[in-house]
Amino acid sequence: MSEAEAIDRAKGGDAECFELLYGLHKRRVYSLCLRMVGNTAEAEDLTQEAFLQLYRKIATFRGESAFSTWLHRLAVNVVLMHLRKKGLPEVSLEEAMEPQQEDGPKKDIGARDNVLAGSIDRVNLERAIESLPPGYRIIFVLHDIEGYEHNEIAEMMGCSIGNSKSQLHKARMKLRDLLKTSRAEKAATRR
Amino acid sequence: MTCAEFQKVLPYIIETGGSEEEESHLASCPVCSDLVQDLRYIAEQAKLLLPMREPSPQVWDNIQDSLEREGLVKTGRSKGKILGL
Repeated sequence: MSEAEAIDRAKGGDAECFELLYGLHKRRVYSLCLRMVGNTAEAEDLTQEAFLQLYRKIATFRGESAFSTWLHRLAVNVVLMHLRKKGLPEVSLEEAMEPQQEDGPKKDIGARDNVLAGSIDRVNLERAIESLPPGYRIIFVLHDIEGYEHNEIAEMMGCSIGNSKSQLHKARMKLRDLLKTSRAEKAATRR
Repeated sequence: MTCAEFQKVLPYIIETGGSEEEESHLASCPVCSDLVQDLRYIAEQAKLLLPMREPSPQVWDNIQDSLEREGLVKTGRSKGKILGL
């Protein structure tokens, strides 16, 4: 059965087709939720809610976008709604900025270091992403991993495009620091 | 243009490119050039991250329960095996 056929049948309440759609998309939805909230229990609850909303709304899917795109956007909205209910409104996401990154000259100025290119493995990158402050992590996941544009993120988050770009930059700078530290620690243990 | 001035506008130009002065600084400054290279590399590697994790089987069980409770499914409860997967 193709996905399109499964969607049509799921609209009619076919339980096996619901399960097929779940099997096809569970990993991506769950990974998105987990990367955005950083907690497996929450991510599972959000995955469950995203699929339940999918099944409640599947009759409204018209095929104007790809099904995966539609589901993905729905999952993102579920996560953002959850974060807002937890008391993480957009302004507090702005306040996740570390003050020292706003003040004075940047610490990179005048200090050259080995570039990261070729030295990141995915496990370390995933770990570094998990340890980002929530505000940075959300924007980074949405933009760099999930591929949303800044204007889309701004609309979803209720912030400006400039703020989205600024938060993304701070996230990447923080990741750079974390990855360089991790690399240095590994090099030190080898000696 | 100083490095501080360049790095202040970097968030807004890293994807779209900057002014002639900003691009000139980038081309001539190894520190800022290394920084931009690192940030772009991180972004590129992030795009390659695959959905690696699976939710526990309990998630589907909970979904099934809710679907039946809400009357969204017409047939009886399936036994949890994903068809053909």
